Amino acid sequence: MENILAVNLLQQVFGTRNPTYALDNVSFNMPATPSILNLVGESGSGKSTIARIILGLLHPTKGSVFYKDTDIFTKEPRWQKQFRREVQVVFQNPYSVYNPVYRVDRVLMKPIQKFKLASGKAVANEMILASLKAVDMRPEDVLGKYPHQLSGGQRQRLMLARLHLISAQLIIADEAISMIDAAGRVSFLNILLDFRDRLGISTLYITHDLSTAKYLGGEIIVLYKGRIVERGETKSVTGSPLHPYSQLLVQCVPVPNPKQRWKEPLTDSGELSVYRTPKRDRCLFAERCPKVMDICWNSRPPLQKPAASGPDARGEVACHLYQPHGN
Amino acid sequence: MTPIMQIRDLSVGYASRRAVGLAVTSVNLDVEKGEILGVVGESGCGKTTLAVALLGLIESPGVIQSGSVQLRLADDKLVDLVGLAPRPLRQIRWKEIAYIPQGSMSALNPVLRVRQQMTDTLVQHGLSKAEAIERARWALNLVSLDAAVLDKYPHELSGGMNQRVAIATAVTMQPAILVADEPTTALDVVTQRSILQELVKIRDQFGTTIIVISHDMGVMAQVVDRMAVMYAGRIAELGLVLNIFDAPLHPYTQKLIGSIPKDTGQHLEGLEGEAPSLWAYPPGCRFHPRCSLATAICREQTPELREIISGQYAACHHCD
Ligand SMILES: Nc1ncnc2c1ncn2[C@@H]1O[C@H](COP(=O)(O)OP(=O)(O)OP(=O)(O)O)[C@@H](O)[C@H]1O
Ligand SMILES: Nc1ncnc2c1ncn2[C@@H]1O[C@H](COP(=O)(O)OP(=O)(O)O)[C@@H](O)[C@H]1O
Ligand code: SF4
Ligand code: SF4
Ligand SMILES: [Mg+2]
Ligand SMILES: [Mg+2]
Repeated sequence: MENILAVNLLQQVFGTRNPTYALDNVSFNMPATPSILNLVGESGSGKSTIARIILGLLHPTKGSVFYKDTDIFTKEPRWQKQFRREVQVVFQNPYSVYNPVYRVDRVLMKPIQKFKLASGKAVANEMILASLKAVDMRPEDVLGKYPHQLSGGQRQRLMLARLHLISAQLIIADEAISMIDAAGRVSFLNILLDFRDRLGISTLYITHDLSTAKYLGGEIIVLYKGRIVERGETKSVTGSPLHPYSQLLVQCVPVPNPKQRWKEPLTDSGELSVYRTPKRDRCLFAERCPKVMDICWNSRPPLQKPAASGPDARGEVACHLYQPHGN
Repeated sequence: MTPIMQIRDLSVGYASRRAVGLAVTSVNLDVEKGEILGVVGESGCGKTTLAVALLGLIESPGVIQSGSVQLRLADDKLVDLVGLAPRPLRQIRWKEIAYIPQGSMSALNPVLRVRQQMTDTLVQHGLSKAEAIERARWALNLVSLDAAVLDKYPHELSGGMNQRVAIATAVTMQPAILVADEPTTALDVVTQRSILQELVKIRDQFGTTIIVISHDMGVMAQVVDRMAVMYAGRIAELGLVLNIFDAPLHPYTQKLIGSIPKDTGQHLEGLEGEAPSLWAYPPGCRFHPRCSLATAICREQTPELREIISGQYAACHHCD
């Protein structure tokens, strides 16, 4: 097995009369060695659609997803059961997982029963305690409580305890911490790093918040209107972004320092347009791009290594500014 | 300066069958006219409860346990929003104080066009249909939206545009105070920046006093003049945002500012433990179980919010 996850040429089109291309030829891999991959993009860029397809909740219009070399839409029930256990999601809104009338203990007890993880009550309790410990939670803070008695940060951490309990191998974290404070976020991110390093669990970390992606490091994919516009090492993409959209993103991160306030007002107003051009054989960022050229309106820039980069460079960008001459 | 709003000893709780849990406890705060005041704190610390109380809109199971929210009107008259009857309250809302609720962009009615969502309130305020549409156009223009959105349904607009509609709706009557609860949460950074820019523009253009609630320290750093840091229902620290980022006084604020990610590969500690729920506050300082400076007095006595350095307040026994 070379990759734990391979996503090939995904296309997702919603609607027929006014089709929305939620995803337009998206491909990426996550290696078998434990890793964290950051997926960033504005709302509506297709992040959650990718998550839903990888989880097998949505059949893509075109393309395929392989988990450990097997197509995830295979019908083999034993494989499916294993897949459902190994690939787990943490959503932004954890309320859906918690039933308000039951104590939260059930969130941990249910998978033990469902996947027959423990032979008896005592072993089950032991496992629950170990999983709470793995996410730095004190049992007395959570067990016996009702969901509304826990803070948002606690609920998300409890989700991680659940993933630990069922030995998940790939976590899809979709905007998982956008509601928690800075201190809580760091704890959550530290658990993901710890899971990777100590337990070999990989994470696809989906966010619109570049600063948390930066903290996790690893590789990053920048998505814009369903297309990958740039990818590479998180450090270099956030430090010296190539694509004009990535550059805009980096400029707009609110620097947590009142002495470094944004100076000139932001002139970008692309997201405000009520009107849409259906033409897709072009760069979809053209109407917002300060560096737009004629070719941008008439040809879709392929995702490739920038012309000027050395042989070791790993970054790729989909922008005509970086295409080799004569292309 | 005379504050436009004076909050005194405000405590707001939620009633369960057996008890009342105080989501906001003994808050004292002066809001200056024309300032952008930030309220920051983690999820569940009481920010929204405070905001709703400032609007006089607490409803069951919520209860105001004590305190007052004095609003200074244009003619210098003071009116206490706590316990104000629905009718006078309706006259004050939108005109004097308006609210952009948390999650408002997803709370727009999906089956109504923007036109109707925006004009309904105005018509209730006695404007004619034509006047209402005129004001709606004006407000949309103010937040950089084309009047063409009037004919759209919320699902036809992006999240950022819906949030602008929510802001435009709140400012149609040119309120003196605008309370914005998490106005940019769940938006991408580019949209966030432009929305924040709109809020600052509204303040600069009309002198509107704006209270911005957020859990994001970056948002605080970029737009607010002063900020109040909340922890477990109380204000832990209050002061100019420049001073607080420079030298936070309260141990919780110090932790918050210390756990902001800056670079790849840098390890941050975060904060051990969790904030207490409103049903189980510890005695004394509510932060003491997580505070490395806690001593005996912290476990017994509640620290009052007091001015430590000129203009900078903290509620801590040990931050002189
Ligand atoms: N209707 C309600 N009934 C009971 N408890 C409530 C109710 N609404 C809020 N609470 C509790 O009051 C406390 C404060 O809630 P509030 O919504 O004010 O927090 P917040 O700081 O705005 O959080 P967030 O950042 O998640 O929006 C929380 O513990 C919450 O669970
Ligand atoms: N079930 C659906 N039906 C129609 N359109 C959808 C559906 N799900 C998502 N979309 C559209 O697909 C695009 C991508 O959405 P999504 O994947 O949720 O983005 P993100 O998670 O990045 O915010 C958006 O334009 C969205 O409106
Ligand atoms: S391809 Fe053209 S329009 Fe698109 S980002 Fe590059 S320069 Fe801008
Ligand atoms: S009062 Fe005591 S426990 Fe509370 S923040 Fe100050 S030092 Fe820490
Ligand atoms: Mg999403
Ligand atoms: Mg809130």
